[in-house]
Amino acid sequence: MKMGIAVRLGLALAIVGVLAAGLTGYYGYAESRAMLVAAAEERLLTSTRVLVRQLAVGLENTARDVRLIAGHPQAVRLLRRDDPALQAGSEKNAALLFQRMLETHPEYFQMRLIDAADHGVERIRVDRDADEVVRVEEGELQEKGHYPYVFETLRLPPGAVFISRAGINHEVGAHAGQDKPSLQVAAPVRETPDGPALGLVVINVDLNGLFAQLAADLPAGQQLYLANGDGDFLIHPDPYQAFAFDRGQLARVQDQFPAAEPLLAEGAAASGQLVTTSRPAGQEAVVAAFMRQHFTTLHSEDDFILGLSQPLAAVVEQSERLGAATLRIVLGFSALAVLLAFLLARALTRPLNQIVEAVRGFVPGAAGQRLPSRRRDEIGVLARTIEDMQQQIRAQFDSLEDKQRALDRLASHDSLTGLPNRRLFLDRLDQALAHARRNNGQLALLFIDLDNFKTINDSLGHAAGDAVLCAAAVRLQQLVRASDTVARLGGDEFIILLDGADDPEAIAQIAGKALDALAQPVMHMGEALLSGGSIGVSRYPYDATGATELIAVADKAMYRAKSGGRQRACFADLA
Amino acid sequence: MSLGGFSFRPVPALVLAAGILFGLFAGCVHASGVLRVLAWPGYADEEVVRSFERVSGARVELSIVDSDESLWQKVSANGGRDFDVMAVNTAELQRYIATGLVQPVDPARIAGTRRQLPRFRQLNEIPGLVHVRKGRAEAYAIPYTYSTMGLIYDRRQFAAAPTSISSLWDPRYRGRVLAYGGGAHSFSLAAQSLGVASPFRLQGGEWAQAVDRLIELRRNVLGFYTRPEESVRLFLRHRSALMFANYGLQQLHMLRAAGADVGYVIPREGALAWLDCWAITRGARDVALAHAWIDHLLGDTASGLLVRRQGLANTLVESDAGGPADHIVWLAEVEDAARRERLWGRIHSGDRATRVLAP
Repeated sequence: MKMGIAVRLGLALAIVGVLAAGLTGYYGYAESRAMLVAAAEERLLTSTRVLVRQLAVGLENTARDVRLIAGHPQAVRLLRRDDPALQAGSEKNAALLFQRMLETHPEYFQMRLIDAADHGVERIRVDRDADEVVRVEEGELQEKGHYPYVFETLRLPPGAVFISRAGINHEVGAHAGQDKPSLQVAAPVRETPDGPALGLVVINVDLNGLFAQLAADLPAGQQLYLANGDGDFLIHPDPYQAFAFDRGQLARVQDQFPAAEPLLAEGAAASGQLVTTSRPAGQEAVVAAFMRQHFTTLHSEDDFILGLSQPLAAVVEQSERLGAATLRIVLGFSALAVLLAFLLARALTRPLNQIVEAVRGFVPGAAGQRLPSRRRDEIGVLARTIEDMQQQIRAQFDSLEDKQRALDRLASHDSLTGLPNRRLFLDRLDQALAHARRNNGQLALLFIDLDNFKTINDSLGHAAGDAVLCAAAVRLQQLVRASDTVARLGGDEFIILLDGADDPEAIAQIAGKALDALAQPVMHMGEALLSGGSIGVSRYPYDATGATELIAVADKAMYRAKSGGRQRACFADLA
Repeated sequence: MSLGGFSFRPVPALVLAAGILFGLFAGCVHASGVLRVLAWPGYADEEVVRSFERVSGARVELSIVDSDESLWQKVSANGGRDFDVMAVNTAELQRYIATGLVQPVDPARIAGTRRQLPRFRQLNEIPGLVHVRKGRAEAYAIPYTYSTMGLIYDRRQFAAAPTSISSLWDPRYRGRVLAYGGGAHSFSLAAQSLGVASPFRLQGGEWAQAVDRLIELRRNVLGFYTRPEESVRLFLRHRSALMFANYGLQQLHMLRAAGADVGYVIPREGALAWLDCWAITRGARDVALAHAWIDHLLGDTASGLLVRRQGLANTLVESDAGGPADHIVWLAEVEDAARRERLWGRIHSGDRATRVLAP
């Protein structure tokens, strides 16, 4: 397809318009979406910080409980076994205290006083069971010296509290806490601040309970993640991912959220935070914030990494609405751009088309189509130039036509008398005959020859002869109707075609009048020249039917009139 | 606008057709053309697979497993017909043989076996590899890589390297010993220290002796570890003297990388060791190709990479921490894995012997 300038120009303008609208819309949308995501990330990070604070507060409360009991003189007395008589009573009192603690703290699984001697044997142990708190009997107490919460705690400085790694408690006989996610919070018992650790007080915290508290206040749609310092999940929306390391599997933050890697890198800052948008395998894309927390005031064996995620779809929901609105605006402006492009293209190409039409339809004689010559721009200049050119062409054409008309007249008229010449007469006769044949009409020819013409011409000169011829022509013309034709055949011969003449009387009357008119003297140079004429009449269809025959018959009749004594008219059929 | 840009170009079509034809003929070098391999991470690296494909003309479909359980699930899922060749340890191999999921391997068809160390060539010396069927002894797997569970010791705390696992019980190192917290191996270790005939077959009164021995161990150690990183952390943090290296050279390398001056010994009672072998499934499509694969893996490239990249030992050369005189005790199926775990759970939790042995 060949594209006109209008189509190309319109297309170019439309593309520019649509592009401008589209790009503006797209970047506006992208920018606002990024802002929404950034705002959501900031909110998530803030929520994460709040949760980390809650976790810290929870652990610090437990640490306070542990420290309180570890610092109680009763604990030292129990471990020193000072007074065997009072030992049983003291143990009973301590066990009761532990029981009260467990009853008021549903998140505690177990509370123990462990001896540094005898391989870390438990001295007092109170466990939570299915629906009650039980004190573990003497024979069931176990040696725990090889557990980190014992050997690490015994090495702690005075006043310090140990927090173990989060893990599944596989210690046999731990009642409700067995095989459950838990964490030990422990403090050494010392007689004097500088003295050796005699033992320790340890509380097993129910991590599920602690985490449930953390997750309780989360807005709908937000998911909680908790991982240890290696990135192993402790809490995960999918329960199979939590504590996977305990089953010999790997489910780690850095694998599901690669952007969290810096929090786990070798030598990573003890505390750090980051926010990421990623797509965990097999899930919707989420915005997630993670924070690594090291509990500086406590001797925590490990750090925690706490995270919150929110589906990206929920975050960008607003921006989707904005996107839809932007799309509508873009489409609207694009349509407007296309319309404007169309109008502009038309405004430019219409005068051009007008010029093309005017040039194409230019006929010299006719009034041309109007040109946009009143415009004041380049198109106006073009139009005016074309208009000037048209006028020149028209003027030249007019003069050419005048010359043509003069030539035509010369070819068909007698130059002396101005009467039609033989050629034109024969044309008219043919037409009249053709007409008469069609309509069963009639016509008559009067063949006239001037008398004395040769005498006048020879004696008085050509000028006198010409005067006689001119006078005869004028007089004969005055005799006939406009529809009749008077022609000069040559020399002193004239002929009159009476179209439609059928009445011989009327014809004779006209012939008579012609004879009278020719008989009148012609004044030339003060002399009256006397001429006169003889007339032969032929009639169609009576005398002949062809033009040549009809003239010949009239000619013959004229000769009869001449030889019959001139100044008379003879009818051919009367011969 | 013009549509002149669109024209039919015959050249790519020809190339494609030629490629397809070539592919068809290339696939004919071996009848089946595809070898389906089940291996562990690091056993068959990219270049090993590529070079095998180049030499054999076959295509390798490699699947990686990361646990005994997933290996069992994959192989047993379709009666062993989904894979041709797999890597499995000698203890695990037994259930595959018992259920008929693997078929005998012919060492004579694997030239590479002649370059293996003597202890890996004598297949009937390795428990569980050779079974007698209808009066004929047949090998079911070819050894590929192994790891010993020796002792790691701090050179600065030992004037002379320990020679016996009884050092783990030595009160001089009390609180400076690390042991592995797994039931099956702990009982085997206790049995070895007791001089029991087979550490994997405890009988009668040996159980009570082993329990006592493990309680003694519990009282002598600093703690028990389960993961290699954990063991390294504890070893360094508490300046441990001695460690039962359940993960073998991997732990040795990690400790050395962390700057520890540590040594590795195979105790005279013998070091427990797992041994991974290549076995051919019952449903293998092309047994000759599977043999060719095993031969290729016994080549210098593949076996060399085991040492260089994975820190494992291969069957061609002695490892830098061992020698031909080393006494290696290949792991075998234990008499009662569940009982070992149950008793160990109690021991680890701190129970006394009477409660451990209670029903």
